[in-house]
Amino acid sequence: MYRYDEFDATFVSERVDQFRGQVERRVKGELTEEQFRPLRLMNGLYLQLHAYMLRVAVPYGTLNSKQMHKLAFIADKYDRGYGHFTTRQNIQYNWPKLPDVPDILGHLAEVEMHAIQTSGNCIRNVTADQWSGVAANEVEDPRPYAELMRQWSSLHPEFSFLPRKFKIAVTGDETDRAAIAYHDIGLRVKKNQQGETGFEVFVGGGMGRTPMIAPRVRDWLPKNELLAFLEAVMRVYNLNGRRDNKYKARIKILVHELGAEEFTRQVEEEYARLDASQITPPKQELERIAAYFAPPAYEDLADSDADHTQHLVDNKDFAEWVERNVAEHKVPGYSIVNISLKPVGGVPGDASSDQMRAVADLAKNLSLDEIRVTHEQNLVLPNVRKYDLFAIWQKLKEHKLANANIGLATDIIACPGLDYCALATARSIPIAQDVSNRLGDIARQRDIGDLKIKISGCINACGHHHAGHIGILGLEKRGVEYYQITLGGSGDETASIGQIIGPGFSSETVTDAVETIVDTYVDLRQNGETFLEAYRRVGAEPFKEAVYATH
Amino acid sequence: MSNSGYPGNNRIMAKKITGPQILTANLLSEGMVVFLSEGGAWASSLESAQLAHSDDDVAQLEAQGDQAAQANLIVDPYLVEVEETGSALSPVEFRERMRARGPSINLEFNSKTNGHALISDQAVAG
Repeated sequence: MYRYDEFDATFVSERVDQFRGQVERRVKGELTEEQFRPLRLMNGLYLQLHAYMLRVAVPYGTLNSKQMHKLAFIADKYDRGYGHFTTRQNIQYNWPKLPDVPDILGHLAEVEMHAIQTSGNCIRNVTADQWSGVAANEVEDPRPYAELMRQWSSLHPEFSFLPRKFKIAVTGDETDRAAIAYHDIGLRVKKNQQGETGFEVFVGGGMGRTPMIAPRVRDWLPKNELLAFLEAVMRVYNLNGRRDNKYKARIKILVHELGAEEFTRQVEEEYARLDASQITPPKQELERIAAYFAPPAYEDLADSDADHTQHLVDNKDFAEWVERNVAEHKVPGYSIVNISLKPVGGVPGDASSDQMRAVADLAKNLSLDEIRVTHEQNLVLPNVRKYDLFAIWQKLKEHKLANANIGLATDIIACPGLDYCALATARSIPIAQDVSNRLGDIARQRDIGDLKIKISGCINACGHHHAGHIGILGLEKRGVEYYQITLGGSGDETASIGQIIGPGFSSETVTDAVETIVDTYVDLRQNGETFLEAYRRVGAEPFKEAVYATH
Repeated sequence: MSNSGYPGNNRIMAKKITGPQILTANLLSEGMVVFLSEGGAWASSLESAQLAHSDDDVAQLEAQGDQAAQANLIVDPYLVEVEETGSALSPVEFRERMRARGPSINLEFNSKTNGHALISDQAVAG
């Protein structure tokens, strides 16, 4: 894992001291709220519907056990004993008090964490495939490049006041688990015919009120040109992105209005003009960063383990958990364990401090001290020996973390919605809970198969509803919540935007509508088709007919 | 009616207000939702909130809000239209009802005070 260098440690520590002074001045009245607001937002502190909310960055979703223990400590000491893992692979605390926040940031700095650039019109925390470095079919671990971008974008003076926030995601696999097409910049690591590493570059994707799939602006970008090329993209955006209208300020609007071809031309023109040598880091710096992501000390193991195989035969629940939650590792004898934070009827992405500590201890003892946070609001132990899987499953069960539902109907993404968020127009979590309870029977979930349900509590789409196979958008009309349903969205390598099927539903009937859609799929599927495959074959019509005939 | 400087007012002013209004804000230090009560205290419950039925009443609420904001007790005060049902008050807007009641979920954690009083348990003197 990446370790802070002296520069990182110094600037994070200085920022904590700086913010402590700003909080003191605010409490004394030496700063007005108007003056203080941008300062607190630069440190990840929002004032939400009910209280302050602190968003802590988890760079590219990677944590070690010490960091997770610290997150649990903060949840207990300064919050209400839980945290919420987000679709940006970050964690949010919902109840911090303002005077405590400098202390919280101080504790985070002790374990090389911070909340910088988790808000504001800057380049936000770079996200990555949660299986980076361990996925069986990965081309290359993208995290050294994510770290390079983190260093480049941190406090970058040219990109601290962009027209709007800016999100970058990177994957090293052809299978896209990072939703790169829905980001301002999406990067896919690839190899050319000479075996050299580079990137496919996508620019101008996004969710929100104007969802867009990012067009490809470069099929091949040599890896040593990454920062210089991104700087050219950022400069075109910074210069031409709209600042007159917040709703049209994201880069997706610029790309859409110019057209991908013209936008690409402008980027290439800027790229040809800028002095790349001033931006491109020296080779030894790239090697220094890459060294931190060198594979850990894996043991030389046989790929199969007799005891593990016997447990699969003896224990159906364990076998089902392995089937859904355990993925193939690139190293023989190891597995990737996906920990679902989606208990049936639970709050998606929430973890108690006890659960955080349990995961931290498992990571320390049985996963080479690594944990990942996923953009689907789950956790991952990326380096588990196959012969430890049964013990891990038993331990996870003790902490109610052995839900065998990864990728199934109850593995729902939901934004905080109107239960916490000041921008929300409707609640999303109670709908997620209701749908989860309705479809929660594990045999039924397994029969339904792969299904991504995603719920947002407002048009900003933090719950990624546009990318849901079934998407739900909560709105409000005349003092009452109602919910629009979209079908056919996808955030993977076949990315598509969900289409609204018709009039919305009340909070009391939306779960019925979802169930009707699911039942309709079960009736019409052919030859093992997934929900998305079936939808793409038949279109929305059969689902609309079923839903509006009965609701 | 004077509405200067009240961030919530733009939303409220977009439509005709027919009912009584109360003043709400967040505590600067705690961040918690509070309502201006009879007698000038800021309380977490809206049941004792001071009602404004006239423009003069509204101006008085706003003046008290300004004063509390300048004293660094609260932030972002704004007016909320409410309905009176018997002795109970309920905000007209759904968002404001949610804000007044607190989260409808996660009660396992949100009823665990852990040194942080629940909104309904908290009363703050102004």
